[in-house]
Amino acid sequence: MSFLLVQDLAKRYPGSTVFEGLNFAMEKGEFVCIIGHSGCGKTTILNVLAGLDAATGGIVIMDNREVSGPSLDRGVVFQGHALMPWLSVLSNIAFAVKSRWPEWNRIQVQVHCQKFIDLVGLTGSEHKKPSQLSGGMKQRVGIARAFAIQPKMLLLDEPFGALDALTRGTIQDELVRICTATRQTVFMITHDVDEAILLADRILLMSNGPNACIAEAVENTLPRPRDRHNIHHDPQYYRVRNHLVDFLVNRSKLYQTGETARTAQPPVSRPGISDGDESSAKIINLRH
Amino acid sequence: MPAFTNPFDPEVHLGCSCGSHASQSEHDQSEEALNRSVIETAVMRALFPQDALRRKFLNAVGAGTALAAISSMFPFGALEAMAQEKKPPEKKELKIGFIAITCASPLIMADPLGFYREQGLNVQLMKTAGWALIRDKMLNKEHDASHFLSPMPIAISMGLGSAQQPMRVATIQNINGQAITLHVKHKDKRDPKQWKGFKFAVPFEYSMHNFLLRYYVAEYGLDPDTDIQIRVTPPPEMVANLRAGNIDGFLGPDPFNQRAVYDEVGFIHVLSKDIWDGHPCCAFGVPDAMIKDAPNTFAALYRAVLTAARMARDPKNRSLIAKVIAPPNYLNQPETVIEQVLTGKFADGLGNVKNVPDRADFDPFPWHSMAVWILTQMKRWGYAKGELNYKQIAEQVFLVTDARKYMAQLDMKAPAASYAKFKVMGKEFDPAQPEKYIGSFAIKKSA
Amino acid sequence: MKLESLKAGVLSLAFLAVFLGIWHLATLPKVQSQGAMDEYAKLMGKGVKKSEGFPTLGQMREAFVTHISDPFYDRGPNDKGIGIQLGYSLGRVALGYLIACLVAVPFGFLIGMSPLLYRALNPYIQVLKPISPLAWMPIALYTIKDSGISGIFVIFICSVWPLLINTAFGVASVRREWLNVAKTLEVKPLRKAFAVILPAAAPTILTGARISIGIAWLVIVAAEMLVGGTGIGYFVWNEWNNLNLTNVIFAILVIGVVGMLLDFLIAGLQKAVTYVE
Repeated sequence: MSFLLVQDLAKRYPGSTVFEGLNFAMEKGEFVCIIGHSGCGKTTILNVLAGLDAATGGIVIMDNREVSGPSLDRGVVFQGHALMPWLSVLSNIAFAVKSRWPEWNRIQVQVHCQKFIDLVGLTGSEHKKPSQLSGGMKQRVGIARAFAIQPKMLLLDEPFGALDALTRGTIQDELVRICTATRQTVFMITHDVDEAILLADRILLMSNGPNACIAEAVENTLPRPRDRHNIHHDPQYYRVRNHLVDFLVNRSKLYQTGETARTAQPPVSRPGISDGDESSAKIINLRH
Repeated sequence: MPAFTNPFDPEVHLGCSCGSHASQSEHDQSEEALNRSVIETAVMRALFPQDALRRKFLNAVGAGTALAAISSMFPFGALEAMAQEKKPPEKKELKIGFIAITCASPLIMADPLGFYREQGLNVQLMKTAGWALIRDKMLNKEHDASHFLSPMPIAISMGLGSAQQPMRVATIQNINGQAITLHVKHKDKRDPKQWKGFKFAVPFEYSMHNFLLRYYVAEYGLDPDTDIQIRVTPPPEMVANLRAGNIDGFLGPDPFNQRAVYDEVGFIHVLSKDIWDGHPCCAFGVPDAMIKDAPNTFAALYRAVLTAARMARDPKNRSLIAKVIAPPNYLNQPETVIEQVLTGKFADGLGNVKNVPDRADFDPFPWHSMAVWILTQMKRWGYAKGELNYKQIAEQVFLVTDARKYMAQLDMKAPAASYAKFKVMGKEFDPAQPEKYIGSFAIKKSA
Repeated sequence: MKLESLKAGVLSLAFLAVFLGIWHLATLPKVQSQGAMDEYAKLMGKGVKKSEGFPTLGQMREAFVTHISDPFYDRGPNDKGIGIQLGYSLGRVALGYLIACLVAVPFGFLIGMSPLLYRALNPYIQVLKPISPLAWMPIALYTIKDSGISGIFVIFICSVWPLLINTAFGVASVRREWLNVAKTLEVKPLRKAFAVILPAAAPTILTGARISIGIAWLVIVAAEMLVGGTGIGYFVWNEWNNLNLTNVIFAILVIGVVGMLLDFLIAGLQKAVTYVE
């Protein structure tokens, strides 16, 4: 049984359907990104997975249990950092930690928080208030807070959308490092194709909304470990990238009108490999 | 009541026991002696129901022996204490409400001059913000006794303008002492016929001021409900309103008439004593419940207030009283203003110094006829409706018997009758014919 | 920044100087004909210090010195020092305001969290809010029958509304995302109320508190003028009875200063809970 199973998920409003017939699965330790145009319903899927929103139809099962509401098992990093401005960095993270382990005493909580503050590279800023931090630092606190509760699955909703390119790059590196170290299961929404290629094991492509669906599940054929500075030198890079961009530019809108048929399970594609390039297949080292 | 003559004197004939033949000598005796001889007389009368026997006895043994012999059997001292009216008051801590006007002089001056303390009472005088609050604080029992406008206890006992509660007038606080004051700009409008459209202020609906003002203008042919405007205004605001020109005049209590003159905004047009000489103004009132539940307290209060009234009646004391009630704790007015009111030597606002020693007086006797007059005016102007039993209400509310009793204890002369005819602006009022009196007026509230 | 404060301070003092100057000129004593003092003049108080119309600055200074040098004297129930009067008034305000807080904050919370309750209760709130304390007083006296408790009730009923409305508003406007964070962390409702909603809404609540304390202080003066007893409002009324404008002006200055101090107090609290988003 897959770690996460989404079956026939649908979200409808009176008069319109956001999406329906969504099916996909995730394994433990997998990093999955979902890409699509604005308004296709990516955030809705994330909210349903997080338990913040209810689906109109379908079911989500995580770790053999149905998802029916928010849980500490599914940590969320919000798009706006959602830090509480009256609490310091330490207190913000401590708030989460205390929610997870209410029986811990102050010292235990503080030690645990410090670990994650250090992890995201914010040592020294423990007592600063969010207003005293830059955008990137705030987002790092958000990440630290989500990681600190050690959830079974991490949900990230375009966490780097508001950051400048430089900061984004730095944090992406950190995220890769942390996820590799912790083997965290992650579901992330992003607009950035390069980001998805850097971080994800699998990339779900979502067609345009309304009436969206998961058009394809793309396996990331680039080998790990991936380094942001060198990744573009890999020949697979542009094959994957072109495939993704091509979808976004051309093919994503074809599913609405039915020009491209929908299937119950999204077809899996392996760009660079399904092209039939034998030599590439040897080089590919699909997982770590 | 037995005659207060020496029962041990064989030459004296003990008179009849109805007590109405009080002789001058009793009044000269002090209270204690009075009580003593009451008891002694009672005992002697009991021992010797036939007077002839008593005289024979005394002739035989002599007065001294007789006294000694009988004292050994009858403990006069103890009996005397028992019969003493001056029993300790049930309630010593009292709150008495008052409005800061000279009408309340007797009950105010009893505080600094120690009359309450003399009677074993610890009184707190509570300066109150207005007549409506005076009424409310008595109705909800925050105050134990209060300064009232004379018509108020009548109205409250009848349930007019408030919840009904039996309220009694123990004494009248003052007679006369009011005036109609006009704005200085009306110096040349001394004829009331020229007052059409004027705005006047009175302190309260159920007040002598309201009734006297209405009576006064009606005598000059003006209908007080249609030809002039009458507003209820707290007395201190009367002067301020006069200055601002909001009102043309007021019939109000002193010291505010004099204060208007002092502040050069008004002049005194006519003293209320020239409308009805001897009219009641304010009263000292208690709830009926106090008389029943705390009779000793009631007696003590009565004596204190009467003592003050007795002192206030003497013109010699007026300056002292002015001095004593002027401070912020009581009237909070310049001493000279109060002195002018109480001594009757005053500036009238038109450049003259007038000398009217009985401008204000403090006769405490609560004439029943005053109550009946008030009732007729209440009916005349529509405040009371329907059939009224004038005598019954008057006698219920105005406590003449108690007044007589306590006045007697303090050597104050009380009139024999409680009804008398009097003249208001030259027209006679017969308390025995109230309805006829009301009917005799051309101007009254149209039914 | 320091220069700005200095400039503001200097300007403020300049305004005060101009104002005092106008006052002084306006109250210069008119030349009095010092003729022979006949009896009439004596009776009219000529030649004696009496409060004729608006007081001069000199009279004001005297009044200040007199009252402030002996603020706690007690010469009977109707004549007490300004310190004692203020004490009574502040005591009543404190009690009425406390009760208002105890009612407004919990109710405000409930109303803020439940749109249904808000819609249901809003009409009543809007109708009761504008009623003046002077109108509440007779009703209170009639039903409660005790003038002291009536005063406190009137303070309560007039000052509760801004606090209530602001609490409701603050609670209803808590940012969605903070509530979502609490949801994903499975925070229990009570902890959520105290750890998330309350701090988030605190600045708005304290704005309401500031408005409310201003109203409470306003009301107590009016209530005491109506009801009497001891208090700064009673002091104003008593001096008004004596047509002593000097003391009345002194009293209203005191009322103003105390009102300002009360506002400072709450403003300080407000600063403590304000956060920058």
